[in-house]
Amino acid sequence: MENRIKTITSSAQSLIASANSLESINDVRVKFLGKNGELTAVLKSMRDVPVEQKPMIGKFVNEARDSITAMIEEKITFLTADAINTKLQSESIDITLSTKKTKKGGLHPCSLVVNEILNIFTSLGFQVKQGPEVETDFYNFQALNIPLDHPAREMQDTFYINDELLLRTHTSPVQARTMMNTQPPIRIVNPGKVYRPDDDATHSPMFQQIEGLVVDKNITMCDLKGILETFAKTLFNEKTKTRLRPSFFPFTEPSVEIDVTCAVCGGKGCRICKGTGWIEILGAGIVNPKVLDNCGIDSSIYSGFAFGCGIERITMIKYGVPDMRILFDNDVRFLKQFN
Amino acid sequence: MLISIDWLKDYVDIDCTIEVLSDKLVSAGFEVEDVIRQADSCKKVVVGRIDNLEPHPDADKLQICTINIGTENVQIVTGANNISIGDLVPTALDGSDLPSGMHIKKGKLRGVASHGMLCSGGELNLTEEDFKNAGVDGIMILEGDSAPGTDINIVIGNDDVILDVGVTANRPDCNSVFGIAREVATVLNKPLIMPSFDYDTIPFNINDNVKVNVENEQFCPRYMASMVKNIVIKDSPLYIQRRLKAVGLRPINNIVDITNYVLIEIGQPMHAFDYKLIGGNEINVRSAKNGETITLLDNKEYTLDDTMCVISDSDSPSAIAGVMGGAGSSISSNTTDIVFESARFARDSIRRTSRKINVRTDSSTRFERGIDFASQELGMNRALQLIASTGSGDVCEGVIDVVSASLEPKVVVVPYKKINDILGIIVPTDDMVRILNSLQIMTVVDGENLVCTSPLYREDIENANDLAEEIIRLYGYDYITCALIDNGKQTIGGKSVGLMNIDNVKALLVGEGMNETYSYSFISPKMFDMLQLPSDDKLRDVVTLLNPLGEDMSIMRTTLSHSMIEMLAKNINRGNRSARLFEFASVYQPKSLPLTEQPIETQKLTLGIIGEGEDFYSIKGIIENIIGYYGVTATYSRPNTSYLHPGISADVVVDGDIVATFGEVRPDIAKNYDIKTKVFIAELNIDMLNDKYDNSYTFKAIPKFPTVSRDLAVVVEEKISAEQLLSVATKYAGKLLSNIEIFDIYRGKGIEKGFKSVAISLEFTSIDKTLTDDEISTKTNKIIKMLDKELQAKLR
Repeated sequence: MENRIKTITSSAQSLIASANSLESINDVRVKFLGKNGELTAVLKSMRDVPVEQKPMIGKFVNEARDSITAMIEEKITFLTADAINTKLQSESIDITLSTKKTKKGGLHPCSLVVNEILNIFTSLGFQVKQGPEVETDFYNFQALNIPLDHPAREMQDTFYINDELLLRTHTSPVQARTMMNTQPPIRIVNPGKVYRPDDDATHSPMFQQIEGLVVDKNITMCDLKGILETFAKTLFNEKTKTRLRPSFFPFTEPSVEIDVTCAVCGGKGCRICKGTGWIEILGAGIVNPKVLDNCGIDSSIYSGFAFGCGIERITMIKYGVPDMRILFDNDVRFLKQFN
Repeated sequence: MLISIDWLKDYVDIDCTIEVLSDKLVSAGFEVEDVIRQADSCKKVVVGRIDNLEPHPDADKLQICTINIGTENVQIVTGANNISIGDLVPTALDGSDLPSGMHIKKGKLRGVASHGMLCSGGELNLTEEDFKNAGVDGIMILEGDSAPGTDINIVIGNDDVILDVGVTANRPDCNSVFGIAREVATVLNKPLIMPSFDYDTIPFNINDNVKVNVENEQFCPRYMASMVKNIVIKDSPLYIQRRLKAVGLRPINNIVDITNYVLIEIGQPMHAFDYKLIGGNEINVRSAKNGETITLLDNKEYTLDDTMCVISDSDSPSAIAGVMGGAGSSISSNTTDIVFESARFARDSIRRTSRKINVRTDSSTRFERGIDFASQELGMNRALQLIASTGSGDVCEGVIDVVSASLEPKVVVVPYKKINDILGIIVPTDDMVRILNSLQIMTVVDGENLVCTSPLYREDIENANDLAEEIIRLYGYDYITCALIDNGKQTIGGKSVGLMNIDNVKALLVGEGMNETYSYSFISPKMFDMLQLPSDDKLRDVVTLLNPLGEDMSIMRTTLSHSMIEMLAKNINRGNRSARLFEFASVYQPKSLPLTEQPIETQKLTLGIIGEGEDFYSIKGIIENIIGYYGVTATYSRPNTSYLHPGISADVVVDGDIVATFGEVRPDIAKNYDIKTKVFIAELNIDMLNDKYDNSYTFKAIPKFPTVSRDLAVVVEEKISAEQLLSVATKYAGKLLSNIEIFDIYRGKGIEKGFKSVAISLEFTSIDKTLTDDEISTKTNKIIKMLDKELQAKLR
């Protein structure tokens, strides 16, 4: 009896192993566990087993039935999964094909630079302020310490509309307007379009500037350097160094130009930096106390610094664009390079 | 400003390299924009001595020369016949470059090796006036005893270095050799050399012969006049000519050259009048009379007005002061006696006059930048000294000097702590004093204060900030440390809601496959007709520039559509067949014309789409997303826009306001831009949408009972719009309707021509019960009935 069970178990085991479809495994189940199955027959013959052997043989048969059942179930699970996998495999498609009709577009490279710069300054507590592009002579020049017929006007050739109105030559009028309406602390950045009658590879009659202004108590040249060095390191990379050079802007005194180490060659000297290792990116300075007073801020209590940079110039440096006019050409083959 | 190093050396001893000097000038605030080395135009040309000459064996007209160039002898074959043994000649060696652009290499002439070329004056770009023997036919024989091998540039004086120095508008005192020399002396820590400007005079006193009367003192705070008799008009000495040429001025004659020389060297414009042509021997500095005329040296007649100032004699103007002299009083070959003018004229007035009559001269430019009170006397002395030393005439006794301004130096008193407060570092007071003194800003410490007396030429020094700049530019910006507004009050940074909306809409557009563009705010007035705008269209009221770069960039745009169509046209023209573009920009609408105040600037967004498979609904889908972003509900109606297809365009209306207009550009308009394909554009009023922006989300309970949907298809006439169908269906669907949309339109087999089948999906939801089929059927039957009744829509 015991041997018969063993034989049945091992025969079942080998048939289960060789079953390769859900039908054949079902045949195996019927062959051994079905109404007329081999193991069922053994169970039926239990009544002929002597009483003293019944518990032992009974246990033996039950174990054999459990084991065969478990093997069959395991095989069914396996074959079911296998069948799904085979079906899925047969549905496989060309994943390298791209047929989506609308691909992602992109921002203009100048906007990428503006966004990056605004992110830096807003995280430093600067508020973004904008103002009109058609400005009055007063806000564009006079409030900023550039009187009528002053030679400093030569620094910024101007598109005029009439004696009073012009296209702003810088975003500084936004600073004047802000100072006239707000008392310190002031921390603002002003992005926007500005206009000057120049048109060549490095000048466009319309371009974008970002200027910034801080007015508070105890603002010094060191704050100017620290903030703008942080800006340069964030915009280019951590190794970027800054250098201040004396310069002149009517609304700041002292005034400086800020050079950064060339991001292309790291300061060794290359074509981009004309071999000097430095690239001029910002004009800045301590706000001229006359400008503070003009704008209704007491220069004996408050001081400030202001800075400005040209977006197109930084875009050209950052992305290696050789001619400013390409930025205003709007050829999709150019624009899509920044998608 | 071009500065000759050779000239500069008259005033300061420069013993460092040009590179070091440039660097020091840059750190002191004078950008060196270019360094021009004259010798770069002429390389590897040396003095050679002809040690031997023999005829060429195979050519009668050639000679073989043995040239001693100091270290060795070279053989050169020449066709010249004005040379003899012992002559010193300019010898261009193998590999040399000549100013004429020639490049010399060794070679063979009729079989005989020649290792260079002997040069004529012309080949060195010299004429007889430039250099002796340069004009002879043949080789330029050098006089004197230059050593063989000497660089020819040294011999012919072509070895100067010219710096192009950027002078900022606050330092007009540095627009001269002398002014730059003062700065160079400071940065190199050298003394400033003052050459002697002495001269002898003849006993003929100007004060007895000329009367100067300054009527307009505000315009002319100082006027000096001197006289020279018995002038001889001739060429200037070579060194004067050479220096003038080095800085780009053409030598003319000794008198003109001297005024130019003084202009460059001292920065003082000078003018010379013919003494005999000064009527009444009177020089009047006065405002012009309205309508008064003068013919200037350019032989053109100008009509003046009382905002301008003239120099006049007893009857008529002889010059427009500071701008240009009159033809009537100018120096000619008949002139024997002259009166020199050295004056200061108000820069704003010169600037206005020069622009009004559109005449700009070296003199007017210089006056516009500003002339200090020290320059009149210095310039006059220099001019007279040059007259005397070049034998150009007899300087007369006396000088007229009419001064109405105070020539007292200005004193500024500033606490030295204030300087450190501006800079943020502590500069030792001793260093402050040392630096200011080195700039001739005579400074002493008085208690807590610096007492600073500026020289006359430093009119820019007015307050602590000015002094702080002078100190730090020489102390060194490298000493400035970095801080992060450590002492400032905390502020909250960020963008306005409107700006964030623009950022978000941009992101949405990028997701729609659109690329951002930047186009000019000024456009061509041709756009009015290209867009066929009606003659009374508000878009024709524009802000016009007085001085545009060209007609095509002369008006400020009132619509972005023209720019967008142009950009699409440009892309099509370049073979870019599909494009989805967008741009955010302002339009400028005058409140009234002529313009009396700033125009209204409105932020707009334009979209433009071309390409296969694109249609009205491509652009509408994008607009729906934008409208959705703003959280507003829009309706669509047919617009009245001259440049859009009347049947394929729409106004987007929110709360009764048109927030956008879009559609297909009329084919006849597209043709105006050379576009033959379909173009879809949109223009949205972003300012208006920002005002309507609503992001007030409020939680609503999610229904516990299932939503029931029903689809129905009806056949209607083509003219019935989707909106009509939906609004009728919605009206009769009742409160339980939770969603309704059209999901298919069918035309073709089974549908009569002129009709369409529209499939509508309806969803009903109740928050408090499960809906029964009967309830829903009642609703849908009602809808079907009313669609038929109101729109003649038949259930399909």
